[in-house]
Amino acid sequence: MSVARVVIGVIGDDIHVVGNRIIQLALSEAGFEVFNLLTRNRPEHFAQAALEVNADAVFVSSLNGEGEFWCSDFRSHFVALGIPSVLLYVGGNLVVGRRSQEDVARLFAQFGFDRVYHQSADIDGAIADLLEDLSHGHSERARAH
Amino acid sequence: MAIPSAHARIDDIEKYRERVIAHPWAQDLTRDSARSYLGDLPRRRFPAVAYAEKGDAPLIQPRGGVPTFADQQALTRQLDEAGADFIPLTIDSNTRHNRYDVAAELLARSEEEEKNYLNGYPLIAHGFRLTRDLYRDLDKPVSLRHGTPDARLLAEVALASGIVEIEGGGICYCLPYSEGFPLDRCLLYWQYVDRICALHSTDAAPVHRESFGPLTATMVPPSLVVVVQILEALLAAEQGVTSFAVSFAQTGSPSQDVATAQVLRKLVRHYLDSFGFEAVNTFLVYHQWMGQFPTDRTCAAALITASAQIGGMIGADKIVVKTTDEALGVPTAAINAEAVRNVRYVFDRFRWADQIGSSHVEVEAELIESEARSVIEAIFDLPGELLWESVFRAFQQGVIDIPFSPHIDNANQLITMRDANGSIRIKESGNVPIQQADRKRERELLASREKASGKTFRSLLVDINMMS
Repeated sequence: MSVARVVIGVIGDDIHVVGNRIIQLALSEAGFEVFNLLTRNRPEHFAQAALEVNADAVFVSSLNGEGEFWCSDFRSHFVALGIPSVLLYVGGNLVVGRRSQEDVARLFAQFGFDRVYHQSADIDGAIADLLEDLSHGHSERARAH
Repeated sequence: MAIPSAHARIDDIEKYRERVIAHPWAQDLTRDSARSYLGDLPRRRFPAVAYAEKGDAPLIQPRGGVPTFADQQALTRQLDEAGADFIPLTIDSNTRHNRYDVAAELLARSEEEEKNYLNGYPLIAHGFRLTRDLYRDLDKPVSLRHGTPDARLLAEVALASGIVEIEGGGICYCLPYSEGFPLDRCLLYWQYVDRICALHSTDAAPVHRESFGPLTATMVPPSLVVVVQILEALLAAEQGVTSFAVSFAQTGSPSQDVATAQVLRKLVRHYLDSFGFEAVNTFLVYHQWMGQFPTDRTCAAALITASAQIGGMIGADKIVVKTTDEALGVPTAAINAEAVRNVRYVFDRFRWADQIGSSHVEVEAELIESEARSVIEAIFDLPGELLWESVFRAFQQGVIDIPFSPHIDNANQLITMRDANGSIRIKESGNVPIQQADRKRERELLASREKASGKTFRSLLVDINMMS
């Protein structure tokens, strides 16, 4: 199997990059090929990059609660470019105010994300999830969406 | 090959100033507003005077900026009474990004609703006349703290307000604070700030500039802090600045702090002198821990006290203090005053006759100095007629590479990690031109730590959050 390709980046107007750099390092160390879009990205930037590099997965970070605004039609940008089954992960501090993990996970699942990590620093867990999801292969994922 | 010199000085600055203060938000500011006001300003408002009169202990500067005039006035009074030696004026982020209309709108809302909609004092919206009134009876310096890539108008208004310490610089206020502001423009705009500071200086009462050494405050290797501080001192000296403070932030390793202070003092003096800037007076400022603070107030207070000890030990001229609310949000005036008292207590009771040295510190200092010299000499050798051009190229080529900078021109190839002693080590140097022997030494010092830990990213998370 060739090396899986992952697009990462921060969405919205936030320019905090510490988490972004750490995720880049973690994914690289886990053997993935990482394409880092850095900060101030819009949903279409992730979709265009995923198309360009033939990405297997996209990791979106959002820190200051902007995620809810920017991510609401996230999957549709990938569908529009003909890559509907790319794995979509989102993590960070995703909503403003206190809301339960379940509520936030449900909300972002509706936006089309496969995995949601709200206020969680468990990068190892996310990488384990990614490896598992990738082992299921594209066709199965395409059916799921 | 760039040779720092006064030839880089901005030509025809008065014409240029005319254009800058033609901005509608300059209000009734003229080119002479600052000059006439500063002539009558009490001498003790100038940092050079405060530094000359200081005793053994570092001078103390808290942080603080609130939107409304009344609140800023109350904060100023409380910090003054608590024994702060420098009074801060922290500027809101809209003003920092030149969005003066937005700052003015949010100021109006803050006043109407008695709720803060800005994270600092909107100096340009308030204007210089009102701001002068903040400091009518004050006999200590006011320090402008911001993070503004284009601070031309802000600096004009600050000087006219009687604020004669301007923090910042073309590198230190661009790389950590901006993702896309073009670095070359930032360097040129800061030439303007340096030039007008020099223009409003006299021998007895120089306008003071201070660089912001903490940079991203996240695992920045001390040698690169030293390099950036030297560059900004030289860039300011080129424009005629004669009173300049270099600074750095607590690294998390006391021995590395002692070594950094030694090298920083020595090399800044060395490079200023070697390019003919002997007349520039330099000072050393120490920032208390700039990373993630503990949320527990007892731990936060302990960190503030411990850091005051180190500030005293390294013989800093000034210490910029944090508060026990650092992890929780913008501190109240009372919490801020408490932090000043905490540090004051340490300085009143302990004496540091001489800097504490050891073979460990010597090794660290030798390494920092050798690395800093290699990088700075490499920058001088880059193509470019003037120093700022070489500095710009240095970033484009990754010759300077600041960990965790959000800026698009930063290379992000350099990776640091703490050794078993807590000192910041260069794990991978990217394109930063440090010598083979120094790279080897860094790796050797890191070896003890690496064996125990495993994955880089996991160690880095621990390293970044070491105090919280």
